[in-house]
Amino acid sequence: MTALLFENIDEEGLNTLEVYERRGGYRSLPKALAMTRDEVLDTLVESGLRGRGGAGFSMGKKASFLPKTDMEKYLVCNADESEPGAFKDRELMQKNPHQLIEGIMIGAYAAGANRAFIFIRGEYDFQADILEAAVAEAYEAGYAGERILDSEHTITLVVHRGAGAYICGEETALLDGLEGKRGSPRLKPPFPANQGLYQGPTLINNVETLCNVPHIIRLGVEGFTKHGVEGSRGTKVVSVSGNVQRPGNYEVELGTPSRNIIYGLAGGPPEGREVKFWFPGGSSAPILTGDDLDLPYDFDSMAKAGSMLGSGSIIVIDDSNAVLDVALKVAKFYRHESCGKCTPCREGTNWTVKMLERIERGEATPMDLEIMAGVQERIIGNCLCVLGDSMAMPIGSMIKKFRDEFEAHIERARAEADGGPVPEPSALVGVAGAEPGPYPSTADAED
Amino acid sequence: MITLTIDGREIQAPENAMLVDGAKYGDVEIPYFCYEPKLGAPVGACRMCLVEVEGIPKLQTACSTGVKDGMVVHTQTARVRDAQEGVVEFLLINHPLDCPVCDKGGECPLQDITFGWGAGTSRFIEPKRHFVKPLELSPLIAIDRERCIVCYRCVRFSQEISEDYQLVLLERGANSFVGTFDGHPYVAPFSGNIIELCPVGALTSRAYRFRARPWEVEGGGSICTLCPAQCNVEFTVRDERVLRVLARDHEDVDDGWLCDKGRFAYQAIHVDERIVEPMVREGGELRAVGWDRALETAASALAGAAGKAAGLAGGETTNEEGFLLGRLLREGLRSPHLDSRAGTPLPLALRQALAAPALAATVPDLEFAHAVLVLDCEPVDDAPILDLRLRKGVRRNGMRLAIATGRPSTLDSNAEHSVRIAPGAGGALLAALDAALGSGGDLGALAAAAGLAVDEVRTLATLLSEAGEDVVILWGERLTDGPGGAHAARALLNVARRLGLHGPQGAGLLGIPAGANGRGLAEVGVLPDAGPGLQAVETAGRPAAGIAAGLADGELSTLYLLHADPLRTHPDRTLWERALEQATVIAHESTMTETVRRYATVVFPAESYAEKEGTVTHPDGRLQRLRPAIGNPGQVRSEWRVLAELAERIGHGLGVLTGEMATGQVVEAVPFYARLTLEDIGGRGVRWQERVAASAMPEGAPGPFDLEPLPAAPAANGALRLGTFRSIWAAKEVEISPSLKFLAARQRAELSPTDAERLGVEHGEPVEVVHDGASVHAIAAVRANLPAGTVFLEEATATEPVNILTDGEQRLVQVRRP
Repeated sequence: MTALLFENIDEEGLNTLEVYERRGGYRSLPKALAMTRDEVLDTLVESGLRGRGGAGFSMGKKASFLPKTDMEKYLVCNADESEPGAFKDRELMQKNPHQLIEGIMIGAYAAGANRAFIFIRGEYDFQADILEAAVAEAYEAGYAGERILDSEHTITLVVHRGAGAYICGEETALLDGLEGKRGSPRLKPPFPANQGLYQGPTLINNVETLCNVPHIIRLGVEGFTKHGVEGSRGTKVVSVSGNVQRPGNYEVELGTPSRNIIYGLAGGPPEGREVKFWFPGGSSAPILTGDDLDLPYDFDSMAKAGSMLGSGSIIVIDDSNAVLDVALKVAKFYRHESCGKCTPCREGTNWTVKMLERIERGEATPMDLEIMAGVQERIIGNCLCVLGDSMAMPIGSMIKKFRDEFEAHIERARAEADGGPVPEPSALVGVAGAEPGPYPSTADAED
Repeated sequence: MITLTIDGREIQAPENAMLVDGAKYGDVEIPYFCYEPKLGAPVGACRMCLVEVEGIPKLQTACSTGVKDGMVVHTQTARVRDAQEGVVEFLLINHPLDCPVCDKGGECPLQDITFGWGAGTSRFIEPKRHFVKPLELSPLIAIDRERCIVCYRCVRFSQEISEDYQLVLLERGANSFVGTFDGHPYVAPFSGNIIELCPVGALTSRAYRFRARPWEVEGGGSICTLCPAQCNVEFTVRDERVLRVLARDHEDVDDGWLCDKGRFAYQAIHVDERIVEPMVREGGELRAVGWDRALETAASALAGAAGKAAGLAGGETTNEEGFLLGRLLREGLRSPHLDSRAGTPLPLALRQALAAPALAATVPDLEFAHAVLVLDCEPVDDAPILDLRLRKGVRRNGMRLAIATGRPSTLDSNAEHSVRIAPGAGGALLAALDAALGSGGDLGALAAAAGLAVDEVRTLATLLSEAGEDVVILWGERLTDGPGGAHAARALLNVARRLGLHGPQGAGLLGIPAGANGRGLAEVGVLPDAGPGLQAVETAGRPAAGIAAGLADGELSTLYLLHADPLRTHPDRTLWERALEQATVIAHESTMTETVRRYATVVFPAESYAEKEGTVTHPDGRLQRLRPAIGNPGQVRSEWRVLAELAERIGHGLGVLTGEMATGQVVEAVPFYARLTLEDIGGRGVRWQERVAASAMPEGAPGPFDLEPLPAAPAANGALRLGTFRSIWAAKEVEISPSLKFLAARQRAELSPTDAERLGVEHGEPVEVVHDGASVHAIAAVRANLPAGTVFLEEATATEPVNILTDGEQRLVQVRRP
């Protein structure tokens, strides 16, 4: 196991400036300031660092899209980590906030931004307190604010707490929220790089992405690209949750076989259980099955397998769970969080939940599966932002990969509802609610 | 123009057009709900307009994708059709199918698009979302949340056009609904526009609900003459009744919006209070009589008053009516006493100079100018639709707005610089501006006379002189109404000259008259000192105040009131009461005003604006045509016909047999209207300044002028300066329209917080405003941005009239608790 971002992560007091500096922190910032902006940008581009928030876009390229004019530019750190299954940013901010601050300062310098913001989800109250304390320390020590480190650069940094909406993790909705408006996604183009916060050019990056920046400057392109594989450079902090024995955050080299993460690091499902399917990139990623466990865990391999690395959050579902329960849980989450601005997402998430509930109640026919699959297809790619896709892609993949189980459930639940003879569950599929596993059933908690 | 390919056809479309608009050039229709360019940048929310653009993997919203040269677009592929069908299906899953009882049915974009692009069936069998319905969004608008498709149009209108910020989207996801903070009613001057914007039946007019179906009605295009904005409207008519007023989009006039007065006050056309038969006073009582009797009574009164008759024309009078009234009085009775204004007359040469075509700004200029100065007027009250135009200019075009008014303006927050002048000190402000721009006048003294600090004037001068060449001054007639009117007009002309407003196309002056057709009436000669074409008359007559005095002391005997109600609109009510008491009053009026009830000898029922034929002239010089949408109710006859008949009876036929002949006489008499026909004017109007005949406008006295110094304002000694304003809602049509009644203006005294505290008056408490023994009762309204030392009262209220305190001069009044 390599450690870049997680080096010394559990050291007592790493969240303070003193310990962070003692462990070699804030050395990359002066180094970056001694370089020209273009040199820093080139370094970021050549490092091959891809965004860790979900889209996986080249961080350096994104930063270089900002127009090189005198306009007021902004850097916004997206710390609205709300995807079910993702909790890596929380640990990064809680235990090593200065690493993020240093990354923000270098990123802002490269992008030519004088103002930076951290938009942190409202529920991360504890982490926001820690961040604010760290920001205050950074100001005090001259790493942020007017003329940082006696250079001619001024970069202010403000921690802004969100009000509790998943949609604010979408970059343009985040900007609306930051401007004090209701957080709803904006139409793109214009992209934030041209017209973002307060209509100014804005670079928006995820916490983990920015945490990589000091290491890239420290190691140089050559040193950094030693980590990871072609197309997916560096390490990845993976949040592993679900039916595993040791859930948690693990920093791995990109390209590590998935099995090594799920079984090796997280301990795999409990004794006697098998991986039924898994979300490789948070609940919005199309599911993969046990057959895909040997795929290397990197951006391109996941995409090739029909899913995505996303935010790098693995949720493991073992064979004690019914796919219907998981589907309902996922769909309810996205229905609850849909902002309601565009039609397919607003109506599609709601309709999908209603159909799944009907299946659960035994009031559906196999034809409803067709309709549900069709609805997902009509959502995907047709929405204003990706929230609709975030439900439609996993649900669509579940229907595709577990159609037999859905159909079996439909027949069984109908028979139960009708009071007739209940067919025997197929040996292949899990049975919803029949045999509670060692974890609470995903369908128990209401949204 | 650029070339693109849509569905295999080459199409020429203008550059910068969005695909939905560009496609129309090739007769390709792309459906949409949320897209409305008038509401600003597209939001891409409804997703109805998804199309395939070659080279872009995902479907694109045609409402937000600009056309590009060589672009290849597909709107009919299976993929596009599936996506569009999908959106229709999604929209319909929670939309009730109550089209048979929905007001929108038959004129509903959702219905049309479902028919054109939907699947025809629904696969949705779950229970639909339910809301209580319909709810009162306001006394004027009903909201049915089940029908709402969350297209954001109404919310965007409230946020980005009228900027009242009252409508918001509440909750989220499938639970989203349109509402207001805390469920407060959405009451705002322009709220009714959301009814027209709504692409479904979610927002309906409470006055129109269930009155008609689209296939039972006809539309009649005309002009709203309830205020000088003269918005283009379409009357929805069923069985000779106006049931609704819709905007008839004219971007040079109204930009497609209407105010709520214009949208709902049509109800006044069909109320019991309407006068529909001629009446004559007998034994102190007004009795309905036949036309012959009424005309005979009026004719004999007029015939006996040769040289001693006078006439007042109200603002809604058309050019033809005003012109014929002028002929009746001047030619038929040799009485030159005629006025269409309430204030002190302006010397004719100045009036001509202010109307110079080179100085004329247009309505769109307000939007595209580099800077606009709003001077001594409140657009939302005086010509409401211009308020939206100014907001648009600031929001979308970076227009720099400056405000110089006595009362706080609703546009203050959009303005770069706002100054509060003393009531009636518009002339002083202009003189100070003239000085700041280099006239050499005493800036310090002039600023003080305007109630301002020197720096405030300097900032204003800098803003106007440095903004760019296109500067527009939007001024209210109030500026030149008082005894200092001539001084103010000279100062205005000086400032216009210094700012170079004569030259550029987009620069100039735009004056808002007090009456809806104030400009037209002046131009057709309804002025004491000017005949048609603003040309001097041989014998000047008395202005309004002089007419009152003449009637009161017996020098005049008969008064013809054409839609005019001096008790309500003219200063010095006490004098007017005496005048009307003495005079034989012939009133041409549509409702029982106090003047009619108490003083009229003969009453002719007047046409409503939906019944009229003729022309009016917009404040920017656009002649617009009124066309009858409904027939006359009861015994009502056209005013031109009555005036012609009266002239005939007193032995001076006017030669007018049709409305068109009256128009013909007007354009013949006004040199700068020469050879205009009703066909030329058509549905869009014609600005006379843009025609060759405009050169016939007399030049007048363009200045520059040496301005006489202003006397210092009298010491207040604890009294307050009285200012007045006329609210958008101060109109008889508002008071008698059932659904607008709740907005009717009630007398209120606007006080500064300092004065309110000094007087021990709280917001909402009753107060008494006293001058010289006369008093007006009002409710105190404490306004934060009102400067201390001034109290404002409303003009033209139904009760507690402020004109018992005023006679046109500046007043100092006492405010006390009753």
